[in-house]
Amino acid sequence: MKDKIILRVLTLFGVALAVLVFVALAAIRNINRATAGSDWVNHTHAVIMEADALQSAYHAGDGALRTFLLTGDPRDLAATREAFGEMSEHFEVVKALAKDEAAHAPKFARLQVLFTERMEFAREVIAAREKNDAGTVRRLLAASAGNEAAQEINRLIEKLQLAERELLTARDKASYLQAQTTRWTVFSGLIINFLLLGGAAWLIRDDIAARKRAAALLGEANATLEARVRERTAELVTSNAKLLAENQERKWGNQALEHQLRYNQLIINSITDLVVVLTKMANVSRVNPAVTQWTGWSAAELINQPLLRMVRLKPPDGDSGPATADPISLALRTGREIHEQPAVILAKDGREAAARLSMYPLRDRDKVVGAVVTIHILTNPV
Amino acid sequence: MEIPTLIRQPGRRAWGGLALVVLLWPLRLPAATLAEMLKDPQMNPKRFASHFGDFAYEYHREIQPPEVFLTYKRGDCDDYAVLADRVLKPRGFGTRLIQVKLAGQIDHAVCYVNEARAYLDYNNRAVFFTLARSGASLRTIASKVADSLEANWTSAFEFEFIGGKKELVATVVKTAPPESDPRPGQKSGNAVKVDF
Repeated sequence: MKDKIILRVLTLFGVALAVLVFVALAAIRNINRATAGSDWVNHTHAVIMEADALQSAYHAGDGALRTFLLTGDPRDLAATREAFGEMSEHFEVVKALAKDEAAHAPKFARLQVLFTERMEFAREVIAAREKNDAGTVRRLLAASAGNEAAQEINRLIEKLQLAERELLTARDKASYLQAQTTRWTVFSGLIINFLLLGGAAWLIRDDIAARKRAAALLGEANATLEARVRERTAELVTSNAKLLAENQERKWGNQALEHQLRYNQLIINSITDLVVVLTKMANVSRVNPAVTQWTGWSAAELINQPLLRMVRLKPPDGDSGPATADPISLALRTGREIHEQPAVILAKDGREAAARLSMYPLRDRDKVVGAVVTIHILTNPV
Repeated sequence: MEIPTLIRQPGRRAWGGLALVVLLWPLRLPAATLAEMLKDPQMNPKRFASHFGDFAYEYHREIQPPEVFLTYKRGDCDDYAVLADRVLKPRGFGTRLIQVKLAGQIDHAVCYVNEARAYLDYNNRAVFFTLARSGASLRTIASKVADSLEANWTSAFEFEFIGGKKELVATVVKTAPPESDPRPGQKSGNAVKVDF
């Protein structure tokens, strides 16, 4: 999930960057176009102004020429030269400016002819005036009466200006549209970028909120865990205390049991009769000191040995039949007690003595697991 | 009484600073007459410009005669450019008079000196760099001049000033493709002759 959000945010930023680059490139291109458009608008203005200046210079020259013809003053002649010189300069400039517009070519060709004729006229009339040839001056002026050439020049220049104004309108409109396009491109880019960055911000905000929620949940889980740990620790402490108490009680119980056992052992040991504990298989498992004292066998020699090693049973009193092969094993199997059974006790050194044997099966939940045998010696060993 | 060390014996730093000031200080020569300028054997574009440091700007519709311009120390760009052409050409410099038409402003004229690959501009008369370096083409010079005035140019022409009259040599238009510009030395013919 985390990776997806990073990928989405990076994608949004990538798209925003791409839009930004596109807008920047488009803006640069539009600025270049706008600059070119501005150059064309300036160019058209320049054509109109040059045409205007051309017309003015022509009229100024014509006026100065007429003044000179009247006054003959060299300053008026200089003014004429200067004005016509300016006219020539403006004409050259306006021709250069408009040379790529084919529609103007016939106009310029005609203007060239008219201006050249006018200069020839000026040359002739000035020469006549300088010679004070009033007749020639009058003739020449009469020939140009009505000033048709000047009217035609005016018409041509006005047509030129009109055409240029139309071009100016078109170029100004194109420039305006270009500016509008630039404006819309930049605004659109700005809005798209704003939306994309808003989307990225929303995703980041969403991710931060999710992380906060996860952190809160983690905090809650930690708190729960800590509570459970505390609870569990308390339980363990209680259990431990309880176990300690139990152990103490068990220790005390064991001590009491041990004491009891020792006490029982003392009792058994203090008995002068021979006491033997048998296993279920009628082997000796324990003996009291009276056994080892009387028989001379050590406890180790007797343990796990059959009881018959030290005892031989006789038939019961009054029973003349043969002794049962192994009445003790039989009694153990059946769980029967034997009371005062005549027996002969055998010592290690071969002595024998008459005795009475009793056996009491040991039961564990009704199951015979062994027996206690007591042997009461009747006579001293022989 | 002990004299301070700096006054008694200037250190290398002091000498270096002084040399820098001297080097960077604009060369200023007093105003001269046209005859003095024409006779000056050391005349060159930089030396020419150094005579105009204290000249004032005053626009005149027509180009003033050099003597008037030099006497009153007032004039405009074409007075300066035409005078530079007049003074430097006899000294063997290849000079060209350039007039640049600017959008919304009056025209500006400069004198380009081929050997220096720079032009003399009246606006730079009082600064250290009195010569503005530029390529030789009319279009390049026009762009450079317009840039220096923070303006747009529309057209420019090279002219000669002969007998108190301008004669156009070649014209370039900003919006025209540069390939169509006239070659250096190429003259546009078919001008209306004002020869009276």
